[in-house]
Amino acid sequence: MKIGVIKAYILKELTELVRSRFIIMVYLMPSMILFLFGYGIRMEVTHARTLILDNDQSPISHQLVSKFEHSKYFDVTLSSVSEDEALRRIKRGESDLIIIIPESFEKRLLHAQPTQIGVYVDAAFPSRGVTMENYVKGVVLDAASSVAPGLAKGIIQINQRSLFNQAMRDEDAIVPGLIGLVLLVAPAILAALLIVKEKERGTMFNFYASPVAKAEFLSAKMIPVFLLHSVNIFIVFLWAVYLFEVPFRGSFLLYWIASEFYIIISLSIGMLISIITRTQIVAVVLTVIITIIPGFLYSGIIMPISSMIGMSRVEAHIFPVMYYNHILYDVFLVGEGLASAKTQGYLAILALYGAGLLTLGSLLLRKELK
Amino acid sequence: MGTLKIDRVTVRHKEKVSIKNVSFEAEKGEIIGFIGADGAGKSSLMHAIAGVIAFEGEVRFDQHAYRSPKEAEGVKSLISLMPQGIGLVLYDLLTVDEHLRFFADIRNVPQDEAYHTYKTRLLKMAGLEKFREFRAGNLSGGMMQKLSLICSLLHRPKLLILDEPTTGVDPMSRIELWEILDQIRREEGTIALVSTAYMEEAARMDRVLLFDEGEIIAQGSAKELIESVREMTYLRTPEAPEGTITTLERSYSLLPLSAEHAEPTLESLFFVNALRTNRAPPPVEITRRDSEENGNPVLMEAYSLTKMFGPFVANDRIDLQLKRGEIVGLLGANGAGKTTFIKMLLGLHSIDGGELKLFGRAIRNTDDRQALKASIGYVSQHFALYNDMTIRENLLYFAAMRQIPIDTALKRISRYASELGFSNYLDSVPTELPLGINQRFSLAAALLHEPAVLFLDEPTSGVDAIARSQFWELLSALKEKWGIAILITTHYMSEAEFCDRVVLLREGGKVADDTVANLYALHPDARTFEDIFREYYR
Repeated sequence: MKIGVIKAYILKELTELVRSRFIIMVYLMPSMILFLFGYGIRMEVTHARTLILDNDQSPISHQLVSKFEHSKYFDVTLSSVSEDEALRRIKRGESDLIIIIPESFEKRLLHAQPTQIGVYVDAAFPSRGVTMENYVKGVVLDAASSVAPGLAKGIIQINQRSLFNQAMRDEDAIVPGLIGLVLLVAPAILAALLIVKEKERGTMFNFYASPVAKAEFLSAKMIPVFLLHSVNIFIVFLWAVYLFEVPFRGSFLLYWIASEFYIIISLSIGMLISIITRTQIVAVVLTVIITIIPGFLYSGIIMPISSMIGMSRVEAHIFPVMYYNHILYDVFLVGEGLASAKTQGYLAILALYGAGLLTLGSLLLRKELK
Repeated sequence: MGTLKIDRVTVRHKEKVSIKNVSFEAEKGEIIGFIGADGAGKSSLMHAIAGVIAFEGEVRFDQHAYRSPKEAEGVKSLISLMPQGIGLVLYDLLTVDEHLRFFADIRNVPQDEAYHTYKTRLLKMAGLEKFREFRAGNLSGGMMQKLSLICSLLHRPKLLILDEPTTGVDPMSRIELWEILDQIRREEGTIALVSTAYMEEAARMDRVLLFDEGEIIAQGSAKELIESVREMTYLRTPEAPEGTITTLERSYSLLPLSAEHAEPTLESLFFVNALRTNRAPPPVEITRRDSEENGNPVLMEAYSLTKMFGPFVANDRIDLQLKRGEIVGLLGANGAGKTTFIKMLLGLHSIDGGELKLFGRAIRNTDDRQALKASIGYVSQHFALYNDMTIRENLLYFAAMRQIPIDTALKRISRYASELGFSNYLDSVPTELPLGINQRFSLAAALLHEPAVLFLDEPTSGVDAIARSQFWELLSALKEKWGIAILITTHYMSEAEFCDRVVLLREGGKVADDTVANLYALHPDARTFEDIFREYYR
């Protein structure tokens, strides 16, 4: 390895990145993805437009209605339209939720007779529908327990407590997953471009026809990506903790080291792609497909890996995202750190994964024309 | 430092054999020229010798013998390869100085006193010392090639492999490139392998190898090679029997003709070889076109046309007249403003000063420009073809763009295909075809709407001798049969002689506008048109 050669190449890459203004992309893209998805994905539902038909007009029904009115999850409109009209409003997209309190609701309750509340939920988006339905159940049970403590006690006590994410904040659940996505996509794209650019332009001949060794060429291409994106590890951390106010309960050192391994994996993916492609556009599209889809699917944002079955479970274990995300959620929300054998194992897997891909890439890269 | 020995080298691209069983030797300090049609295998052989492509056989240089790119690693510090393509190995965003530093660094050249003296000398020879802070992307084609050459000389290679270094480069830069090359090989004893499409250049080399279909079919000094075809070269005889190729200047036949013999050139080799291998191109025939001509003999007039890019004057008050049935050659160094001028005439660039008239009517607004485009045909430097569509589909697309009715379009396409000689290729995509064929069908695309004026921007750059001579025959037939006016730019000075009139641009201004004969009369010392060109650039 001739250090002078590597230095010359790195200087050239950095000069080009700055002059082509691509450097802006290097630092803008990760933060952009974080902002777009971080603010864009909402699992919880607030301000559901709720139409309540109170056909009973009794103290108890009023109490129930006021429970809804005082919740941030519902924007209540009381109305005395017919049921048909109410349903039409859901169809027209004017309401998300209809609650119908039947006549003699109070009377039946006081006589301990079973009674029913009609709840219609717009479930065009199933997960949103399910969420609203659960909220309604919660409010009704809560109201019931306060109206008739004796009746409810022991039978319909609800005591939900979410672990690790007590506040049930979306940001806490989504932002660490996004870091796993961002740090997979961005270094891969840059690494792929740095090699393919030379192939497309013809400057690859400078490598082919000179005594520059493969290891020197690869180091010269990988080191700038690695260094530039290492800065992003800190940038996305700052956004997560200070902008999205995600708690950080674990060791920063663990976060840092795992992220560096992860970046090595990502840039190796980019390098592998640049070996099989010939034009920049194909390289970018391929990198985006190969990294964004698994980065998103297996990030734990949409569904946890533990609830995956069959093929998707196997795939999740093949891609590196799962291992890194486990560590991410640990350092942000749990804080067990290396005390957990699973985290130790996953960190080792990341290191091996990176070393494996890097070796594969350097074996496949050829110093000759096809 | 010893000799270069190529021993039975074969190069395959997938199934296709590009070079088969080629052997030759070269001595220290020798310049060897590679000539041949495109696709003849010159580049493949150069890549094999440079050790950048897998090959069979053996190359021996200095003390090293190698049979694969891997084994060639050891000699790469002694070799330099300049692949085909203008500025191909340069980085647009780096300056001239940064390139020199980069190439010295990756070649591990110690940057001491001796290096700096050598570098300064190279910069001076290339005329680049004033441009050291310029980015490569802002240099003209000629400067880019000179920069590529000096970058590949920094480590003082003993074997220099240059793949068409001068294609698309203006005559002045070409001369400078050759001066650098000549000095270096004298001082350093470098072996230089140079492929070229300019036969004037090939004539200056120590030895010339003629390639055809992956084999070396003739070799020797330019003189010997020229002598070998003297017997078959005649003055142009239009009524020649079958088995004769007739170009604008000469006729070639394997059987004796009654005509007088002409002085052969290296180009003659190509024609004689085509006759020997039964690949003589069909004679060119053009029929009259559908549309009627109108009376005005002056088709296009430009008065004092000016184009500015910021403070830079790209075209400075240029006058030009294009008359019916006239071929005008627009010559000048890279960056002299030829392409800008053509783009202004086309309505692709706005006009910053002066006036443009078509059929005596001034072009002022967008509607006028639309009318302008309808009567002009244009073939750009890089043939604007769609590489994913077949030739037929390409032509139909261009016809549709010009709003030509489909039945007329189909009729014209089949007529052009047979007259311009690409009917066998109608269903192939452009990337599979030689440059010469693409060039002819680009011409067909530009002629579909039967324009009154035709603009051709370096249509013959990189095209081989036979295809070029055919192209010129086509142009002269078009001129006669259609009464069309043609404005053409070229870097081949020999082609200037086929033009009725030559316009010379220098640094954005017009420095000459006259017939070739008058220009020769003005410069009695000039032997070739290149000499005249040099007069204006002194």
